[in-house]
Amino acid sequence: MFYFRENMLKTALISVLLFILLAPVHSGAASGEDCRFRFSLGTEPPTLDPSLATDGTSILVIENLMEGLTQFDQNLLPVPAVAKKWEVSKDGKTWLFYLREDVHWSDGKKVTADDFEYSWKRLLNPETASEYAYFLYDLENAEAYNQKKISGQESVGVKALSPFLLRVRLVKPVVYFPSLTAFSGTVPLRRDLIEKYGDHWTDPEKMVVNGPYRLKEWRHEYKLTLEKNRAYYGGEVLCGTVEAFIINERSTALTLYETGSLDMVFLTPEAIPSYRNDREYVNQPLLRGYYYGFNTRVPPFNDSRVRRAFSMAIDRSELPRILSGGEVPAKSWIPPGMFAHDPSIGLDFNPMEAARQLAEAGYPGGKRFPSVRLAFNTDAVNGLVAENIQAQIKRNLNITLSLDNMEWKVYLKKLQLDTPAVFRLSWGADYPDPDNFMNLFITGGGNNHTGWGNPRYDRLISEAAADPDPASRRSKYGEAQKILTETDAAIIPLFFSAQNLLVRRNVHGFIPNAMELFSFKTVWKGDQER
Amino acid sequence: MILFLARRVLISLPVLLVIATITFFLLFLVPGGPFDREKKLPPEIEANINAKYHLDLPVWKQYLFYMSGLASGDLGPSYKYPGRSVNEILHDTFPVSMKLGLASFFVAISAGLAFGILAASFHGRWVDRAAMLLSSGGLSLPGFVLGSGLIFLFSIKLRLLPPALWEGWRYMVLPSLTLGLGAAAYIARLVRSSLLDISFHEFVRTARAKGLPESRVLLKHMLRNSISPVLTVSGPLLAGLVTGSFVVEYLFSIPGMGRYFITAVTNRDYPLIMGVTLVYAVVIVAANIIVDGLYAVVDPRVARR
Repeated sequence: MFYFRENMLKTALISVLLFILLAPVHSGAASGEDCRFRFSLGTEPPTLDPSLATDGTSILVIENLMEGLTQFDQNLLPVPAVAKKWEVSKDGKTWLFYLREDVHWSDGKKVTADDFEYSWKRLLNPETASEYAYFLYDLENAEAYNQKKISGQESVGVKALSPFLLRVRLVKPVVYFPSLTAFSGTVPLRRDLIEKYGDHWTDPEKMVVNGPYRLKEWRHEYKLTLEKNRAYYGGEVLCGTVEAFIINERSTALTLYETGSLDMVFLTPEAIPSYRNDREYVNQPLLRGYYYGFNTRVPPFNDSRVRRAFSMAIDRSELPRILSGGEVPAKSWIPPGMFAHDPSIGLDFNPMEAARQLAEAGYPGGKRFPSVRLAFNTDAVNGLVAENIQAQIKRNLNITLSLDNMEWKVYLKKLQLDTPAVFRLSWGADYPDPDNFMNLFITGGGNNHTGWGNPRYDRLISEAAADPDPASRRSKYGEAQKILTETDAAIIPLFFSAQNLLVRRNVHGFIPNAMELFSFKTVWKGDQER
Repeated sequence: MILFLARRVLISLPVLLVIATITFFLLFLVPGGPFDREKKLPPEIEANINAKYHLDLPVWKQYLFYMSGLASGDLGPSYKYPGRSVNEILHDTFPVSMKLGLASFFVAISAGLAFGILAASFHGRWVDRAAMLLSSGGLSLPGFVLGSGLIFLFSIKLRLLPPALWEGWRYMVLPSLTLGLGAAAYIARLVRSSLLDISFHEFVRTARAKGLPESRVLLKHMLRNSISPVLTVSGPLLAGLVTGSFVVEYLFSIPGMGRYFITAVTNRDYPLIMGVTLVYAVVIVAANIIVDGLYAVVDPRVARR
């Protein structure tokens, strides 16, 4: 055999060992003046252009680069940001925003009302093809301009009256308008730079910002590096650098956290039980509702008694136990932490009453009930929920639901073209006002796949949006919620989601937010544990 | 030789055209569109978006539009990543996958040859059986299991190598092993059986009878004559490794293009799907042409035919 075999093997082994052992070991986190906060983003932000961003990841980054007229405080109430104050006319349709005069872009220029006017009209410009253009449809002529029914943008209801005074004219009173101006799509933009650089104006070396951080580096599909913006008007930014690693696989992010390469990660549902009692575990309920909708156009769910029977046959308290992510069981639709949330609304778990309503509808003991399918998009959480609901409906109503899961885009197409008898969807808040949740189910609404409509409901939602009196507004939403989840039971609210994180003990000032937004300007790292 | 390669390149152009055409029309058969969202867009806004990306044109016009762009090297805009073109995305990600693919290819070929030669030269003995057992393991272990195992051992337990990310050569070791070891196992089996096939040929017996050392018989005479099957598979293998692996890139958080083979489809990002498909096709064609060239080096009769 080979005489050189042994020597070769030895050499190879020694080389491999040297290769590994002589390599420098990855260093840990820095702190204090050199603070570097590292966390994982689940996906690449599709864009950092505020007019085009629609997803949570992009918006999370943009919120740390740009600031608009208003921003949310810890209770998600709109407070002044670039606007120092605002006034609204008696009819509720004209808003005047007075801008601070000490807000600068990162290149030193002042932020002016023109930057807002340009940004808002750009959002509405049909050529921008912004998905969130409808956010500003309440502005005069905005919808017509976006839909090319008028050609010029001069008549759109936003105008810079002076460098620091912005006037907004609405088609109807919108009491939550200062919440809309905190949305990332309404931040000011620089016309000169966008016209100069086109699509590439968000490249790190070209992007000019007015928020706490500036974009230092963007290695696509890998990492974004944000650096403290020294021109920021809103006080000292405590951490010099924020690094957002794009890590699709959450277990990889967890391994990196465990091995000291990250300061914050999102937990997968299956990892939560292992960390629930950990001091680094953070659970944050979200303004995100998860529901089952009925196709009310066809039997058997065109009968509200059947829908109510289903809703009452489900014990929602089982869901947090199987999902274990700190979900909050839901029977009403406006989430906790939002104005007009009322946990007393909605149908309680009551199998006896459910069976009675089902019998009244002509299906005693579940007999002669047609075969129906429960559809959901393929996903671990959706699968667990569907199996549980299937079991509960069988147990409490003696009805067998067949489960039908499909790929996400196929599922969305199916919802539009051939709505399943029972389907799953969820909704996360675009702005923390009940209008955003309740508006979903107005008659013929694009997101209302149930086919259900109720003129009284529509009227309540429309009136509540314009009602400046909190008590009467609350009562309108209360009545509307009762129609939606009790009398008509067009949907079955199941739970409100929560976010589960691990945050290192030496990270301070990290405030999770029910809208899945994180502001890093208050974050710092110290030697002391929090 | 040059003529031989030039002919192969020319033949491959219509192949790429057919692939582009078939892929383009297949995309329209998949239900769901790029702008279908959980939050349904108002139809007017959807119309603005369709107009921006020419999705409001008839399919045949879209095809001509795409093909005319392709002819000038423009792969179009990405629908999922507004502001980035498919060219830019591939420009950013392909070199990463290329690097990882070449490193894995090196692992596959070197480990595959070593194990194959070892097994053949100890044919029927425990070394042979152990090498083949290992290669069966390598073949049957899915990437995410092997990768997770390597991360657990080298990153979490021994703390020798980083568990993920892409900062330098140390970050390449585990992903290259994960991607390359399965292929190595395959090559090891191929080399072994090919060497065993050839070991009873007369030229081998003659070489031994001349009194050449066994290593020289094996490396100079037997290996060269049994390398053709390895060359045959190495073309598609290289293409597969270079175009990246969804699983390995996902697991190790590597910014390569492999992920787009899946995510471009789930996002219905049509131009990106076209882009990655074409890159894959070009890499396969190129790898095969290189392999054909190598055939001609190993066996000069090929070029003469």
